Amino acid sequence: MSYKYREIDLRILQTLASEAGAVGIDRLAGLLDLDQSPVAAAATILAEQGLLTLTEESEEELRLGTRAEGWAGGACPERRVARALAQVGGRSGIKELPARSGLEQKDVGQALRWLAARSWAFKERGELVQGEAWGREEAPLAADEALVAALSAGSPARRSDLVAQGVAVDAGLALLSKRPGIVDVKVRRRRLAELSSAGREALAKGIHSVEDVNELTTGLLVSGRWKDVDFRPYDVTLPGREARQGKEHPFRRVLEDTRRAFLFMGFEETASPWVESAFWDFDALFQPQDHPARDMQDTFYVGRPDRCRLPADELVERVARTHENGGDTASLGWRYSWKRSLAERCVLRTHTTAATIRELAREPKPPRKVFCVGPVFRRETIDYKHLPVFHQVDGIVIDEKASFSALLTLLGTFYKKMGFERIQFRPAFFPYTEPSVEVFVWLESRSDWVEMGGAGVFRPEVTEPLGCREPVLAWGLGLERLAMFRYKLSDIREIYLSHLDWLEEVPQCRS
Amino acid sequence: MPIVGIPLDEFYSLYGEELPPDILENELHRFGCSVEGWATLQRYRCPRCHALSETGESTPPPTCDSCGADFRLEANRPAPEGEVRVLRMELLAVRPDLFDPPGLARALRGFLGKEAGAPVYRLEKGTWSVEIDPALAGPEVLRPRIAMAVVKGLSLNDASLRSLMKLQENIHWALGRDRKLASIGVYDLSTITGSSFRYQAVTPEALSFVPLGYDPADAESSLTPARILTEHPKGKAYARLLQGATRVPLLIDETGAVLSMPPIINSEATRVTRETEEVVIDVTGLEDRHIERALNIVVTSLLEVCPSAHAESVTLHYAGETRTTPDLSAQEVDVDPAAAAELVGTHWNPGEFAELLRRMRHDTVLEGDRVQVQVPAWRADIVHPRDLVEDAAIAHGYDHLPSVDLTAATFAEAHPREIRAARARAVLLGLSAMEVMTLTLSSEATTFERTGLRHREEQVRLEHPISVEQTMLRVSLVPGLMETLAVNLGHSYPQRIFEVGSVVFADETQETGAREDLHAAAALAGDGFGYADARGLAEAFLADWGLTVASGLEFQASEERLFLPGRGAEILLAGRALGRVGEVHPAVLEAYRIIHPVVLFEVNLEDL
Repeated sequence: MSYKYREIDLRILQTLASEAGAVGIDRLAGLLDLDQSPVAAAATILAEQGLLTLTEESEEELRLGTRAEGWAGGACPERRVARALAQVGGRSGIKELPARSGLEQKDVGQALRWLAARSWAFKERGELVQGEAWGREEAPLAADEALVAALSAGSPARRSDLVAQGVAVDAGLALLSKRPGIVDVKVRRRRLAELSSAGREALAKGIHSVEDVNELTTGLLVSGRWKDVDFRPYDVTLPGREARQGKEHPFRRVLEDTRRAFLFMGFEETASPWVESAFWDFDALFQPQDHPARDMQDTFYVGRPDRCRLPADELVERVARTHENGGDTASLGWRYSWKRSLAERCVLRTHTTAATIRELAREPKPPRKVFCVGPVFRRETIDYKHLPVFHQVDGIVIDEKASFSALLTLLGTFYKKMGFERIQFRPAFFPYTEPSVEVFVWLESRSDWVEMGGAGVFRPEVTEPLGCREPVLAWGLGLERLAMFRYKLSDIREIYLSHLDWLEEVPQCRS
Repeated sequence: MPIVGIPLDEFYSLYGEELPPDILENELHRFGCSVEGWATLQRYRCPRCHALSETGESTPPPTCDSCGADFRLEANRPAPEGEVRVLRMELLAVRPDLFDPPGLARALRGFLGKEAGAPVYRLEKGTWSVEIDPALAGPEVLRPRIAMAVVKGLSLNDASLRSLMKLQENIHWALGRDRKLASIGVYDLSTITGSSFRYQAVTPEALSFVPLGYDPADAESSLTPARILTEHPKGKAYARLLQGATRVPLLIDETGAVLSMPPIINSEATRVTRETEEVVIDVTGLEDRHIERALNIVVTSLLEVCPSAHAESVTLHYAGETRTTPDLSAQEVDVDPAAAAELVGTHWNPGEFAELLRRMRHDTVLEGDRVQVQVPAWRADIVHPRDLVEDAAIAHGYDHLPSVDLTAATFAEAHPREIRAARARAVLLGLSAMEVMTLTLSSEATTFERTGLRHREEQVRLEHPISVEQTMLRVSLVPGLMETLAVNLGHSYPQRIFEVGSVVFADETQETGAREDLHAAAALAGDGFGYADARGLAEAFLADWGLTVASGLEFQASEERLFLPGRGAEILLAGRALGRVGEVHPAVLEAYRIIHPVVLFEVNLEDL
């Protein structure tokens, strides 16, 4: 493929053609009125194409050093001494020299050394005496002084330029060889470009440049001009522009995974009011009216509204009698006097079991599998482990063939779906289930079993008053915990703080 | 749940052998006890009452667990009595019979197959009696019931004394609701005169006695009940249980000597020591089922510690009623083993089922296909045959139950509200907003004052809020969005966030007096955002529900303080309020310390 000349390439070749011999890149950039770096880059590419040759030369660059202060206009410090000596007739006491020449006492010793070396003056028994090289006329600038004078404009100068100006660089540097810091010499490398014969031929044949383009535009596409332009390559290793996306909340994914797990297992989803009657939250679940969980210490009672409507009297009556003496169930009951007014109290539901028990009462005929995911409320002081609102998944299975073993199998399936390999079941107590079980999962990061929730077979005192004689499997599992393990959070509050940094950084397609 | 520390030495000696800690822990979990861990405690003896106190610290506790003596005083410096290794367990309120080493050992000896069926405890008819003052049931006192027992032939040591004291404390918590429903007293019988007691209501100034932990040699120690209630640490702690009473209950002997002032404190004179061989136990409370159960647990625990000891009954004389306690007879329950096995999901023949229950310390009688279960007197948690099914399942082992799949066909169905919420979230995610989730509790101060929302409908108010920030259920998603923006001030801008969730209003037409509405709200924060951005976002969102200005959506200038005047609008659909949209007022931003312009919209999704 033939080389596509860019604008800059063409200009470089044309400029070189008009110059005799090799041209430094710096000068070339000056001629083109461009920065050095794009010119250097383009020249390199052109050299690779064989259109020009690049050579490198090194040259010394001279500039005044840090100790050149006393050399104003090139005159070395000892020249001032020699001048002062000449004014007092060529002889002076050494002690009077600083006052006469304006030299500082500490510099006098050095000055005496160099005066002798230049044969401008000598020491003679405590006196300085003019030497042979300082005649009636002041001695002309020596080579080193001339070099300093040539550099006194301040900017560095190339040796070749100084020589061209007639400065005796070598002689000057030789004189300064024992006086470091007056003139510094640095070696500089520079690159020179010269048109090659191939370049000359190409130019002779006539070449056209191609436009160098950054951005592909509608204009380029519509006109078809994109074929004639060159798209500047980018450094593809550099980071890109930040993209902002909308993302699902990480905890939402836990809630959705939970819903999906139960939906895939053939469950129908239900919901129940957040403001709930104590009847459905507690009484229907055979939770005695003096149970500590019903205390205002643990449960949010609602000031407005303050009374709920209860279901049909007949149902309420059956529940009441079950509490008092077991009613028609084979239970002894709690043996106390049940109060309707306590059941009518409004609470914020303390568990999503309120949703599943309502569903059981609505349609107790098997087979049914029902679940509810939603917020529940407990009167907890906020800390790293507790929030007054958190989420649960509750579920029930009404099935004449349902058994406690089937419940354990089902819970095991759920936690496997949620990514836990090892599951343990331990006996537990809940007022509304019997047998009851607590589910533990093995957490590798803690090397320990962690409790996830409770489950069991609803007690006959719960199911029978609602008209259900089949076994009902039930469970209520906390979901914030799942999120804390999944996202390695140590503080439950982080879930609801919604730090955008965190929301942006959690990968959506993993975990 | 409180934690109980079971001293291992004492437990192992009652259990009959030592078990490796990991095996013990695992078996306790299989049995249903929640092990919290292990600890080594330092023991100290009180110089005043000689009882042991324990602490996990390297220095003595500040006061005596038993008499409350101040150990920091030079005169009360306690003597170190070595250390004890304890198993820390969470108490299961329904099984107070497992709270102490004897009870736990009794249960595990059965569960782990060392013994089967119920142990037999000796109970003899005693000549003891107690007269109960009817005034105790009246409005002046309201502590009407008592249950009593005598136990003879004891030999107690420091450890068993301490366990007995701890058992009382824990029963007070679990069964007694902090002594309200049941309060236990144990007395040295040798300090008591006669065989008849009186449980009486007396005026608080009628007499005085030396309360437990006070020095009988000190004339100042004898206090009237009134002074005990105002001066003694236990009196002050439990005075509320006698609140409103004009008289106080006292248990006294034939000579009028005070045994105790239930449910507050015993007398020093009747203190139980290592030398005590015979005790009287009383439990007072409101109902017989609570106090008799507590009594049975304490009596059988003592008989478990001292197998050669025996109990004697006490006759209780109420006005027009006579009872005898303790009643250690078993409760008979008839269970169908086949139905039990079916419920658990396994197979048991009647013999197997009976054997499982015998391991749980029940006695059983096989009657054909059925099993008659004799539930021991210390197990008052058995109220239905189903409770015995669980006992059998625990004995069988939850870890040995088969894997069983449900086979009935049911059909999945998502709840319509969840479907709607998911769609709303998808639309807002598509508009590049980040989902946030905020707490559903809020406050009037945040909602109406700080955020400047207009009070449209009554909010649901909590009766006893736990903090000033959470006094009501949220009525809008806007305060949550504002709070989220306020915690993200350090994050780069622009910020685009949204939430879809329910808000709640009091609503008398509803069964529970409240109604949840599903809302969606989004906010944009950053320089350059204005009303047009919020309105554009709201319109894009609503367009996905088929709602456009052309189809009847209206935007009407809003007076709400949330928005800059003239830059906020109410969204209406066919004249009904649907939501709000606008530029947040700088005063509101300042209240949240937000230093970037914020525009937002919120709509109710219920009627879309």
